[in-house]
Amino acid sequence: MGKVIVITSGKGGVGKTTSTANIGTALALIGKTVAIIDADVGLRNLDVVMGLESRVVFTSMDVIDKRCELEKALVKDRRVEDLMLLAASQRNRKDDIKPEQMKDICERLKEEYEYVLVDSPAGIEQGFHNAAAGADEAIIITTPDVSAIRDADRIIGLLQNQGIDGINLILNRLSPTLVRKGNMISKNDVLDILNIDLLGIVPEDTGVIASTNRGVPLVHNEGSPGADAYMRIARRITGQNIPIPEMREDNFFSQIINWFSRKN
Amino acid sequence: MDSSIVKLRGYKDGLHLIVNPKISLSEIELAIQELFAKMNQPITGTSIQIDLRAPTLNPEDSKHLETHLTETYNLVVNSVNIFEESAETPILAAPATHSIATDLAQGQNIDFDNAQVVRQTIRSGQTTRCLSGSVIIYGDVNPGGEVISAGDIVVLGALRGTAHAGANGRLSSVIVAMELVPLQLQIGTYVNRPPTGQKQRGYPEIARVGAEDIIIVEEFIKF
Ligand SMILES: Nc1ncnc2c1ncn2[C@@H]1O[C@H](COP(=O)(O)OP(=O)(O)OP(=O)(O)O)[C@@H](O)[C@H]1O
Ligand SMILES: [Mg+2]
Repeated sequence: MGKVIVITSGKGGVGKTTSTANIGTALALIGKTVAIIDADVGLRNLDVVMGLESRVVFTSMDVIDKRCELEKALVKDRRVEDLMLLAASQRNRKDDIKPEQMKDICERLKEEYEYVLVDSPAGIEQGFHNAAAGADEAIIITTPDVSAIRDADRIIGLLQNQGIDGINLILNRLSPTLVRKGNMISKNDVLDILNIDLLGIVPEDTGVIASTNRGVPLVHNEGSPGADAYMRIARRITGQNIPIPEMREDNFFSQIINWFSRKN
Repeated sequence: MDSSIVKLRGYKDGLHLIVNPKISLSEIELAIQELFAKMNQPITGTSIQIDLRAPTLNPEDSKHLETHLTETYNLVVNSVNIFEESAETPILAAPATHSIATDLAQGQNIDFDNAQVVRQTIRSGQTTRCLSGSVIIYGDVNPGGEVISAGDIVVLGALRGTAHAGANGRLSSVIVAMELVPLQLQIGTYVNRPPTGQKQRGYPEIARVGAEDIIIVEEFIKF
C-alpha cells in the first residue's frame, strides 16, 4: 500500500507544480513507482511542466464521470519508468469535483503505486479541500516572504484539523546572496513560526524556468543546485537520512561579514 | 514611592538595580537604603548590575554610586549599563484608544479562576475563544491567529498574533507570554499596537492596563 502526499501552499506561484513534477520524477529515478495527480482543475499545468501535454487524452473528470477507466486516464512519462500522470480537466471548475471523488481516486492509486503526489491549487477553497481529501501526508511549499509564510501557516492549521499528521516543509527560492546580505527571512525564522519538520531547501535557480519551458523537469539536469535539492528531498521522503546542507546564512564567516555590514 | 527611584529585578544574567537617574544622588541612596531594609534576605556579597536610563548620571555620580553600593552594602557591582531613551519606548506601551467596543455577551457564567487549556499552536486564521474564564496556551499564537478570553491569557510560547483579554470588560485582566511580539493586544476596550518590527526580547513579558489608561508591557517577573 502506497502513500498519498498532497503538495500545497495557500499562496499561489510559490512552486507547488514545480515541486510535484520534480519530486515525482526524482522518486521514479530512484526506482519508486509514482503517480502524480494534477488537482488544479481548470488551470492544469502539471502536464505542461512534465512535457506530457500532447499525450493527455483523458482527465480525472473523465474518470469521475465514468467516461474512462482510471488506468486508461494515466499518462506514462516520456523519460522515466513507473511514473504516471493523471491530468486535470481544463473545461471544468474546481467545484465540479467533490472531496470524496478525489479521495476515491487517491485510494485506488495508492494500491498500485508507492507514492501518489497531488499538486494542489492555491487558495483554501474547494480546490484545496479536494486535493487534500485523500492525503496521508502533506508537503507545504513556502518561499521566504511574509505573506507566503502566513498562508502556509493557515494551510497547516487546516490540514491539522483534518487530522493529517505528517506535515513537512519545503522552503523554495531561498537566495544565498540575499540571505548572506541579511536581506531575506532566514530558514530559522521560517521554522520558528511554522514549527513543522523541514524536508528541504530549494535555492533560487534560473534553471527552473528553462526546464519548465522545455517541459523537462529540472532533476534530469544533474548537478544544478535545484536538481540536487530535489533529489535529496526525494531520498528523504523514502526514509533515507540525508542532512540538509546549510546555506551560507549560518556560516560563521558570513555572519561576521553581516555584523560588519550592518554596523555601517 | 521609592519604587519609582530604584527597583531591584532578577534577570537571566543576575540581579539588576534599576535606577532613575533624574533623581538626585542623595535621594537615590536613601531609596536604596529603604529598598534593602524592606528585603527579608541579606543582600551582602551579591553580584549586581546597575541599569541607568539616559540621560544618565554624570560619570562622577555614577562612580560614587558604585562605590556606595560596594562599601555600604558589600555588593559586587559587575557592570553599569546605560540604556538609550529610544530602546526604552517599546517596553512602555503606545497609548491605547477607547475605540473598540466588545460585542461579547455580558453576564455569562464567568469564573476567572478557571482556565481553558489549549495544547496547540494557534495558527493564522484560527481563533480560540474562552468567554467563561481564562486561557492558557501550550504553544505559540502565530501572526493572523487570535485568542479571546474573558479573563487572562497566558501563552507558554511566542505571542505573535492578536490577543484580547478581559473581553467582557474586566480591566484587571493580563496577557502574559514567553515572547511577546504581538500584532495587537486588547484588554477590555483598550487597544495596543506595538511598534512594527519589534524584536523578541528573550524574556517573558506581561501586558496590563496601567494607571494612565494605557496598556503597559513590562518584563514578567511574578504576579
Ligand atoms: N526554485 C526556483 N527558482 C526559480 N524559479 C522558480 C523556483 N521555483 C519556482 N519557480 C518559478 O516560479 C513560478 C511558479 O512556479 P509553480 O508554477 O511551480 O508554482 P505553483 O505554486 O504551482 O503556482 P500556482 O499556485 O499558480 O499553481 C514558475 O515560473 C517557476 O518557474
Ligand atoms: Mg501550480
